[in-house]
Amino acid sequence: MSLLPSVVPGLGIVKGMALTLRRFFQPKATVMYPEQPADVATKFRGRLQLLYDENGALKCETCFQCAQACPIECIDMGGMDTKGRFHVHWGPPETYGERREESALRRSGRAVPDPAYEHFAPFDTATVDAIMEAHDHDPKYLLPMLEATQAAFGFLPVSALKRISERTGTWYAQIYGTASYYGHLRFEPPASREQATEVRARRATDAGYLEALGASLGGGSRGSKTIAPRKTVAPRKGGDA
Amino acid sequence: MSAILASPKGWPAILLARAGAADPTDLDAAIKTGAFEGLRRAVRELGPDGTIHEIEASGLRGRGGAGHLTAEKWRTAAGTPATRRYVVANGYGADPSASTDRTLIETDPYAVIEGAAIAAFGIGAEDVFISVRATATEAVRRLEAAVDAATARNFIGDDALGSGRRIEVTVRTVQGAYMLGEETVLLKALDGKRGQPEQRPPHPATRGFRNGPTVVQNVQTLASVPWILVHRAKAFKAIGLGDAPGTILVDVRGHERSGVAEAPLGTPLERVVELGGKPARGRTLKAVVVGGPTGGILPPSELSTPYTFADLRAVGAHVGSGSVIVVDDRACVVDLARLLTRFSADEACGKTIPCRIGLRRIAEIGERLSTGTSRGGDLDLLADLSADVVGSGLCDHERLATLPMMSGLRYFRDELDAHLLRGECPAGVCNPTRLGATA
Ligand SMILES: Cc1cc2nc3c(=O)[nH]c(=O)nc-3n(C[C@H](O)[C@H](O)[C@H](O)COP(=O)(O)O)c2cc1C
Ligand code: SF4
Ligand code: FES
Repeated sequence: MSLLPSVVPGLGIVKGMALTLRRFFQPKATVMYPEQPADVATKFRGRLQLLYDENGALKCETCFQCAQACPIECIDMGGMDTKGRFHVHWGPPETYGERREESALRRSGRAVPDPAYEHFAPFDTATVDAIMEAHDHDPKYLLPMLEATQAAFGFLPVSALKRISERTGTWYAQIYGTASYYGHLRFEPPASREQATEVRARRATDAGYLEALGASLGGGSRGSKTIAPRKTVAPRKGGDA
Repeated sequence: MSAILASPKGWPAILLARAGAADPTDLDAAIKTGAFEGLRRAVRELGPDGTIHEIEASGLRGRGGAGHLTAEKWRTAAGTPATRRYVVANGYGADPSASTDRTLIETDPYAVIEGAAIAAFGIGAEDVFISVRATATEAVRRLEAAVDAATARNFIGDDALGSGRRIEVTVRTVQGAYMLGEETVLLKALDGKRGQPEQRPPHPATRGFRNGPTVVQNVQTLASVPWILVHRAKAFKAIGLGDAPGTILVDVRGHERSGVAEAPLGTPLERVVELGGKPARGRTLKAVVVGGPTGGILPPSELSTPYTFADLRAVGAHVGSGSVIVVDDRACVVDLARLLTRFSADEACGKTIPCRIGLRRIAEIGERLSTGTSRGGDLDLLADLSADVVGSGLCDHERLATLPMMSGLRYFRDELDAHLLRGECPAGVCNPTRLGATA
């Protein structure tokens, strides 16, 4: 048997065609992903899945560490970050160009609230370009660049971050990771007072902490100038009058 | 600026020696009181090696919290082969309830600049960054004015004091996160990166800012350096206690007064507490929070502890930010520990599991205790979890953040039990639902 192919001319082609014909009549294996979800074994290790905690909250904090750490930058995400802000993200421009289109977002079936689209709105590139020029397009000055951008726009428009990414050669994930880390940088125009207070309460800012500390001490720090007024002291049951 | 508390007669003044100057940025006035004498001695008399040797002989330890030997860091940085070395003065002052570093910068910017210049001279660095919190605008302004004045007079700059060495001092403002106080985080922020700690070793003294050997030093540490060079190591060693010589700034929130004071290291904690006055009539001292948000909650029985790095650690607190918060009987230890832990959990950087999830779970135990929704075994869980966080933490933040709850467990077990077993808050602060009433 093993000798046959070498002595009968054309037998290889016949065998190959036979295989093709056999497969042709077998059921198709193509899965129309993403319209049709793929059947993935639960133990499959390459599966990307975000887990939920016991309270039903997503455990992923959109901290972007996986995106930043991934050596081939295939991880990317959109969602609510810990400050309750929605963001749609993309990796390096050349990898994810198509996904920037609105239609691509729609096709992906992700819920994209309207404000997200505003991030794609045209903006004043000259301002950002001047800021980058002043800092030599050097990613080492990313923080001062972001601060200057926020000073110019009142917040950090995603399109500005995108431009900084393109022009300085810094990955978007890294810029977003940096910008979202620092409490004084924001991605939306200054919020209404109520929203601001809510964010402050959640982020335990210095002022919030001092106020809570003052309240917790129950007046143990009387005469202190630096502790904020104890407006939030809860009424005590049978405490001091 | 916070008030500077009057300290008892006989306490030495090293860091706040120039407090009360009409204009702290006035270089001529500062020179009259000895500014830049230390740098002159380093450059003219001691040389780099001699300078490090003098600091070593003084036994100076870092005032940023951990109390590492300063000379050891300098020697490592000087001995690591490199083309560029850096000195970073840490004046960030992460703890919102302590203004020690800010007060020092505001009262004596020249001491910080001079100390940083001496460090740069000692290790062979050309670039010095003094990092300050951007929101401390007065400190930033004074520091910048002082750097300009000192550069104009050639104390620092291209040819510092005619030594032929370039020592360029730059003020860098940072803001936006508690963690920026941690040295590896600070270095990343100065380089425009996300503020998350790096594994140590390598310590910054070997590989720090832009991979160069970097000495990161608290501003109080640096401000002690010129004094040591002028008054000699022996005089410095005579102040303080044992292997913790010198003085340190404390931020006391006392019964009657609050403010910053300079205390010799090794001062018994009760002397520090007394700086803040006596309890109001009918009130008693209940506890002292030593070390800021990650500090330990100590009972009155531990007040004889000397205020040193090692002694405070031994009783479950730490020097930390220098913050000493006096708590009277109106406060509830459970509520306080809950609040401090919640702050630490919220400010943790999120890089590692102990920091991102461990601290959150510890904070939740505190919240369960104060709302009376504890589950059986919560105290065991607390001890286990804390041990795990301490064992596996990447940076010191998560390790220290276990201290409020753990010291509460250690010293105020009765109060914890009242919450846990009887659903009562003895101080009447928390509102625990009584177990059994609902279930
Ligand atoms: C969470 C955290 C916050 C810190 N905050 C400060 C700070 O605000 N200022 C400071 O000087 N050191 C701070 N440190 C200590 C620094 O990491 C570092 O040890 C110090 O600046 C070194 O200077 P020293 O040797 O002079 O103490 C902090 C450490 C941790 C873990
Ligand atoms: S973004 Fe952060 S939390 Fe979310 S999956 Fe990646 S590493 Fe985990
Ligand atoms: S705070 Fe995140 S690793 Fe220490």
